[in-house]
Amino acid sequence: MRYAGIKQFLNERLPLEALDTHLRKPLPKHINLLFSLGSLAMFLLLLQAATGAFLAFYYSPSPEHAHNAVTYISEEVPFGAFVRGLHHWGASAMVIIVVLHLLRVVLYSSYKAPRELTWIFGVLLLLIVLGFGFTGYLLPWDEKAYWATVVGVEIASTAPGLGDFVAKVMRGGSEIGAVTLSRFYALHTIWLPWLAFGLVGVHLFFVRYYGSSGTPKNTPEEMKTGKPFYPHQVFEDVVGMLILFVILATVAIFVPVPLEDVADPTNADYDPRPEWYFLFLFQLLKYFQGPFEIIGTFVIPTVGMLLLLFLPFLDKSERAVLWKRPIALTVTSVCVVGIVVLTILGGTSKKLETTDTAVQETSQPTEQIQTETVEEGEAVFDFQLTEEELEGAKAVEDASQ
Amino acid sequence: MEKKGRRSFLVFSINWAIAFIGGVLSLAAGIPLIGFAISPAFKKGESKWVDLGLADRLKNSRFKKVDYTFTAKDGWVKATKKRSVYVTDAGNGEWRVFSRICSHLGCLVRWDESKESFLCPCHGAIFDKTGAVIAGPPPEPLQKLETKVEAGILYVKES
Repeated sequence: MRYAGIKQFLNERLPLEALDTHLRKPLPKHINLLFSLGSLAMFLLLLQAATGAFLAFYYSPSPEHAHNAVTYISEEVPFGAFVRGLHHWGASAMVIIVVLHLLRVVLYSSYKAPRELTWIFGVLLLLIVLGFGFTGYLLPWDEKAYWATVVGVEIASTAPGLGDFVAKVMRGGSEIGAVTLSRFYALHTIWLPWLAFGLVGVHLFFVRYYGSSGTPKNTPEEMKTGKPFYPHQVFEDVVGMLILFVILATVAIFVPVPLEDVADPTNADYDPRPEWYFLFLFQLLKYFQGPFEIIGTFVIPTVGMLLLLFLPFLDKSERAVLWKRPIALTVTSVCVVGIVVLTILGGTSKKLETTDTAVQETSQPTEQIQTETVEEGEAVFDFQLTEEELEGAKAVEDASQ
Repeated sequence: MEKKGRRSFLVFSINWAIAFIGGVLSLAAGIPLIGFAISPAFKKGESKWVDLGLADRLKNSRFKKVDYTFTAKDGWVKATKKRSVYVTDAGNGEWRVFSRICSHLGCLVRWDESKESFLCPCHGAIFDKTGAVIAGPPPEPLQKLETKVEAGILYVKES
């Protein structure tokens, strides 16, 4: 079947002409490069989904294998370090782009009527992105992964009433272990992607349904007199994606993704620090002491998120650029400067120089009393290899080479 | 008019029937699925006495950091758990064994002999040698573990 034949076949069965007309709808006259940030965020989501799906070919979500699997990906699998680099640095890029996208919407007050729902689904997507970050960095099962998750889950446990319950559900028990890793893996690779793509679908539907907000400079007549979305805006977005990918690929090639020693729950010489995008929260927690701890761990993050979510219903001022809205400008500036300053303070905070000066002893048990019994018929697997088994495996490997 | 009334009643009934069936299906599938996911939160941890070794060997007026391991079930894995505690005795048979887990957000504290304090590397918490909070955000003192000495062996209660 020739091209014309295929086109006719599809046209008879699908509303392609209507789709074409819709894609060619003109944008507002006054629009700029900042309006490509949403497309860049979607591109990064797709890139994360693609690199993540390929990383899953080699990853194993168990404490015994996770760290080795990540080492194997980084050191032995062809292009492994590059794919992992794209995924790791892509996560940071995602946070940056999503926050910039949010700030663009605030700058031009694009969240105002009738686009309140677009905003709400956008804020939910921001939470999903942070959820991806939190569940993702446990997966390498190194020191940073372990301790950042310990602190993160403990933060959740301080929530009044259900905090302890929520923490136990997150960990899958009373402490971080095999069950935690497999649930974080499931959340990171199944639950959150489904949620993310669902929410992106709704968000995009609203974006197309209400049309681009443009800058507040547009008069009602100018709202439909700009360039068409396709191909003009799409071309700009694609060029933006190319530039972003080149930057990410360069970073992925030249900046190796860190992988610390395997998680050790007894290593007190390790100074836990979260990923850079949670440093502001890490720093904030230092200022609320004793009974006020909950203000840093629960009240400020929860209230802040709720205010952000319902911003369109709180800000009733006329639509205008941010610097013409003094209250919004003040609140936004305080929040942005506050988060940046806390992030810098958290990132540059001195690590504890004291090493432990207690006399080191390793217990020499005369016997170990174990009250735990394994019920008959219940499968309990011990995957840890003894040193002899490891040496045996190495000998077999050497002989086969 | 009567026909229209009957029709709208029929539509009303169908809507409620759909909602009812939807609700039953959601509950029938949702309750076991949610129970499946959150069940670990209801599982009670078993406490056990773990043998740290001969009490005489651990006797010390200064804090000794004791690393120990014990076997416990972690989901489907029979795992070797690692723990670390600070142990000292007051000389009168009273043992003080502190968990190294900071009562703020779970980082491991370090003993600084010169300051006679436990320092947390995360959010700047400081505890004195009795485990009480001197500075920083923790709302509670360091956890003091239950101990017992039997036949000259020091045991600590793991929970």
